[in-house]
Parts: sequence; C-alpha cells; structure tokens
Amino acid sequence: MTDSVITHKPIAVVGLSRGLGRVRRLPWTLVLGSILLTIYLLVAITGPLWAPYRYDRVGTGKPFAAPNTNNLLGTDQMGRDLFSRVVYGAGLELFMALTSTAVAVILGGFLGLLSGFIGGWFDEITMRVFEILISIPVLVLALLVIMAVGLEASGSELLLVGVVALVYLPRTGRMARSVAIDLVTRDYVMVARARGESAWSIVWRELLPNATGVLLVEFGVRAGYAPILIGSLGFLGLGVRPPTPEWGLMISENRANLVAAPWTVLAPALALSGLVISLNMFTDGLARVLGRQVKRV
Amino acid sequence: MIVVKVLFSRVLWALVTLFAVSFIIFTAIEILPGDIAARVLGRYATEEMKAEFRRMRGLDRPMLVRYGEWLSGVVQGDFGDSLVSEFNVGEVVLPKLRNTFLLALYAFILYIPFSIILGSLSAVFREGSVDTFLSTLTLIGLSIPEFVMGTLLAFIFGVVLMAFPVVVAINMARSFGEALHMMALPAVTLAIAMAVYAIRMLRDNLIEVLESDYVRMAILKGVPMYQVVLRHALPNALVPALNVTALNLAYLIGGVVVVEKVFAFPGIGTLLIDSVFLRDAPVVEACALIVSAVYIVANLFADVMTILLNPRLRTAK
Repeated sequence: MTDSVITHKPIAVVGLSRGLGRVRRLPWTLVLGSILLTIYLLVAITGPLWAPYRYDRVGTGKPFAAPNTNNLLGTDQMGRDLFSRVVYGAGLELFMALTSTAVAVILGGFLGLLSGFIGGWFDEITMRVFEILISIPVLVLALLVIMAVGLEASGSELLLVGVVALVYLPRTGRMARSVAIDLVTRDYVMVARARGESAWSIVWRELLPNATGVLLVEFGVRAGYAPILIGSLGFLGLGVRPPTPEWGLMISENRANLVAAPWTVLAPALALSGLVISLNMFTDGLARVLGRQVKRV
Repeated sequence: MIVVKVLFSRVLWALVTLFAVSFIIFTAIEILPGDIAARVLGRYATEEMKAEFRRMRGLDRPMLVRYGEWLSGVVQGDFGDSLVSEFNVGEVVLPKLRNTFLLALYAFILYIPFSIILGSLSAVFREGSVDTFLSTLTLIGLSIPEFVMGTLLAFIFGVVLMAFPVVVAINMARSFGEALHMMALPAVTLAIAMAVYAIRMLRDNLIEVLESDYVRMAILKGVPMYQVVLRHALPNALVPALNVTALNLAYLIGGVVVVEKVFAFPGIGTLLIDSVFLRDAPVVEACALIVSAVYIVANLFADVMTILLNPRLRTAK
C-alpha cells in the first residue's frame, strides 16, 4: 500500500504554502501581476470617491477634446470625461469578471470533484452534459443564453455574470473531475472511505484541500479570459447598456470616431488589455510557483 | 482493431453532440414563441395579427413538433425562410459562409509560418533575451481581446498609415490580389490570435526535443544548428503541435465572429450578430448550428489526430 504513494507520478497537486516554500525567488510575472492587479483593485474600489466626474456626466469639456489637464484622457462625443469613465469601469469590469469566475469555479469545481469521486452513472451523465455544452463555441453559447432570456431583458450586469459563469462551469467542471479521478486512488481517500465517511465529507475534507492549487490556477486562467468575453459581448452590443462605462461597450460606441478622436477608443482598449495582461501574468507566476503548466484551451 | 473502435465511438459521439447542440440552439431561440410574432410584426401589432402570423408560420404548434420539422429540413439542407428577407436561409447564408471560409483559410496560411518561425526562434534561444522577449510578447498577445487587437490594427495600418482598408467590402474586390489586400487586416488579427498559443506550445515541445539524446548527438557530430532544428528537431516537435493547430482551427470559427464584426466583413459572424438584432430566428439558428458544427468537427479532427499519432494505440491489436 505504501509504495503506491512513492511510485505515484509527480504530484500534480501542490498546496499553495508548500509551493511558496519551495521557490527561492518569486517569478517576475507573479510580482508584476500582483502589483498591477492591486492597482486595478484599488482603482475599482476607491475610484468613485476620487474620479473627477461621474461616468454619465455630459459636457465636462468640449466634445472630442484631446487629453488635457481638465480631462486627463480627453472626452467623447458627448463631452463625457473618459478618465472618469475608465475609472468607474474598473469596478464594473472586475466585479463581473471575478464574480462570474468564482461562481463557475466553485460550482464547477464542486460538481467535478463530486462527479469524479462518485463515478458511475452520475459521473457519466454530468460529463456528457458538460461535454455537449463545451462543444458549443463560447461566444455562440453566450449568445444563445442571452437570446433565451430575451434581448429585451438582457443588459443587466447580473445576467452577464450568469452567462459567463454558465459558459465556464462545464469547463472548470471537467478539469476538476480529471483532478478528482487522480486523487481518488490516493491512500488518504481510501482510508476516509474505509472510515465510512460520506461522499460530501470526503469531497469537502479530502479532495478539495488537495485540489486548491489546481482550482486556483483554473480560477486565474478563467478570470483572465472573463473580461475578454464580457468585453466582446459589450462590443457586439449584447452586454450592458449605455451609458454604463463598460470598456468593451465604450470601444464599440467610439469606433466610428477612431479617426477624429483616437483616445476615445485607446483609453478603454488599454485599460481592458492591461487588466487581462495583469491577470494572465499573475496566473502565469502562480502556476510556476505551484509547479503547474497553464493550459489554455 | 482498437483504433477503429475508438475512432468510431468518437465519430458517433460527435454526431450525438451535434444533435444535442441543434436541440439547444432551437430551444434557446424559440423558447419564447409568442415573442417571434411580436418581434417580426413590431409593437403595434394586435393580438389577432399575432395569432394569424403564428398560424401562418405554424408557430402555434408544440415546440417539439416544430423542432422535428426544422431538423428534418436541416438534414436535407433546408433551413427554412428568413423572416426578414423572405429568402431561403440557404441563399442568405451560403455566400457569407464562402467569405468566412476564405478569411479563415487566409488567416490559417499566415498563421503556420508565423508560429513555426517564432516558436523555433524562442526554443533555440531558450532562456535568452530573444526567448524572454517573445514569451512576454505572446503573453501580452493572448491578453489582448481580438476586437481590441483588430481595432488597434485598423487604427495603425488603416487610419494612420492608410495602407489597408478598415471596412472590408470583399464583394467589391475586382481581382484576387485586391481581395487579399482587403482581407489582410482581419486575417492578420486572426492569425496573431492563433499564433500566440501555437508559439508557446511549439517552444515547449521543441525544447523537449532539442534536449533529447539524438539531437545532442547531431550537435556533437557537428551538424549546423539550422539543420539540427530544421531536419532533426522540428519534425518531431510539430507532431504534438498539430493538436494545437486543430484546436486553433476550432477557435478560429468562434473568433471569426468578433473579428468579422470589427471590420464589417460580410461573413457568417457578422450575419449571425446582425440577425440576432433583426430577430431573424431561422438565420440565427442556421448560423449558430453551422458555426457549432464546424467547431465540433474541428475538435473531432484534433481528437482523431491525437489518437492516430499515439503509437500505443496504433500497435495494440
């Protein structure tokens, strides 16, 4: 029995604290990613307190004013201050990306672990349903959910969170299940089973703690993609409604003015790309610390 | 033959998936049946008008019956009539599908040499400044959403340099060369979006091969480095990268929706989104189903290739 532990292939799952103890120097991506993310978070939380104008206040300067001391990033066609809009957008963007990813990883992770542990027909059905949902392209699936709810009812932040969570849930679920399949053969799970513990308790107390590393990286990868999906939906006119300062929507609103006032597009574009870059750097570094490869499929 | 058995089950499962996906698509779009009449007739339609419309279109019957009819039509290549233009959906979709296919093919042809060259450079100079630079670049590349990348490229090459058109009116192209020139920006956008993954994957694979014994042997024998990479290492590193390429092919069909919209390219992605806002249910269903079907087939292709390239499965009886 004991040698099954020793000969087992290199442990795919390493706890965060153990991982941090192993590396002497933190990867630069983790350091830079953390710094950038902290800045984004600070702006998101405190932004509304110090932003020069409200996001929907029109006529803060001349329409299409170039960046100047009054409007740091210039203004759009209604004279709205782009700096303020981008600052207000940070909170919205982070809220939607993090909540949707958290819902997907918690629900998907739990379902996946449970499915891998229980096995049998429950596993079979769950995985088949997940696979069918995965076989619809992300954007098309999001579009279908929005159409099922009705275009008229769409446009709320919560619906968007639900859409993104639903799109990711089967993907995180399948990933968590593959981890569970690997974990259920371990001795401590067998021991827990022999002790007669319930499935819930084993998933919660044995599998989950050992899968946190994987789930964290999964969270990072998904969180890094969530703003892209949310932004794309906003860009296509399927996300939140104007005058909400969602960055993807801002890019789509101002695209026609790209020639006359490039800052109206560049400001939200840089903010959005910067957020995704910070999230990806953070995840990349985290994965290195945990000794895992980041798979982006 | 275990391979044949595995392949057969994969193909069968793909068909089942396609069937299930068609049901999801139809349900999602037609779950609000009263809504379709209201959507098409506008807000001033009376109840009688709506009822008449539903009766004419057969929308008053149970959804499962309508799904059955739709599906049997689809299997025969008939997606019904567009609610907006009254044309058969096939006539609306086919020209757009051809455009999208051309764009995807173009992007794919750009993507292959681009990924191989940059991936190899990164692996050969691993841990060096070229590698660090390229790794950072690809990390940034995969962080920039396609619609942002497309918009930025349109700004730089279309607006500032005025070298390429920002709106791709492909049907206006008079020659093949002109068409290629017109499609350059969306094609490059898609190629970059795919290449960032492939470069990283190829780099990792190639490093593994470059550190194997037979490559070391070749280097010690005095084979020039470019030959070691081109003749000895690359062919073996490309095999696993084929899987990424097949997955990229699957990605391409999804990514194309947004990129087409950026450049107002008259393809299936633009048609899909426009039809959503026109509430043209049959066209949306057709586009969604076609996009999903290509996606499923591309994923199946990736799967099959992985199986065929796996020697353990090949040699087993």
